[in-house]
Amino acid sequence: MNGVPRLDLTHFQAFLLFAVVISVAFGFLGRRRPKDRVKYILWSLFLFLLVGIGVGWAMFPFSR
Amino acid sequence: MDQPFQNPANDGTQSAPPAREAPSSRESRALAFGIAGWLLPGLGHALQMMWGRALVVFLAVGLLVFAGASMKGNVFTRQGGDAFDTLGFIADLGTGSFYVFARSIETNGADVSHAGGDYGTRLLATAGVLNLLAALHAYEAARGHKA
Repeated sequence: MNGVPRLDLTHFQAFLLFAVVISVAFGFLGRRRPKDRVKYILWSLFLFLLVGIGVGWAMFPFSR
Repeated sequence: MDQPFQNPANDGTQSAPPAREAPSSRESRALAFGIAGWLLPGLGHALQMMWGRALVVFLAVGLLVFAGASMKGNVFTRQGGDAFDTLGFIADLGTGSFYVFARSIETNGADVSHAGGDYGTRLLATAGVLNLLAALHAYEAARGHKA
């Protein structure tokens, strides 16, 4: 395991990874029917992205 | 697709536990499933034949742990200096056996001097909390609660 290369992700890539993985996991745990799962995953992912990017822009004026 | 499922507690692939089962026996079984799910992500669901959920939990927690440790995130140990380290350790320990996997990847230690390392720390904590949630879900499903 010593040779595992360092993974360099940008903030957005790490955020996207988090949003996708958590949305899929919540979709499968929270819903049983495949159609409901897909709807839940897409809606959850959209809200993650919307809130994440929204908060990012809201903090922009205070970043300098 | 619209017809009701026979057992709301699982994926529809396993019959409900018999109604005659003693409550204490059912509770013990549910507790065992919960602990199994904590020790090996997805095992609590796999033991209840919830294959889809088991696979997703295993892959989600595994991917987050691998990404977090590869980004040189901080895998907290018991020897934490403050309350935040202790909380981080509890969250990391939530990944069960994957905690050992994360430690084995990070043989050279964490590097949070870059932003990537900080993101990795968060991904590792997320993996632990997600697995604890999944283990709780497996426990509740085994108790017969709607899941």
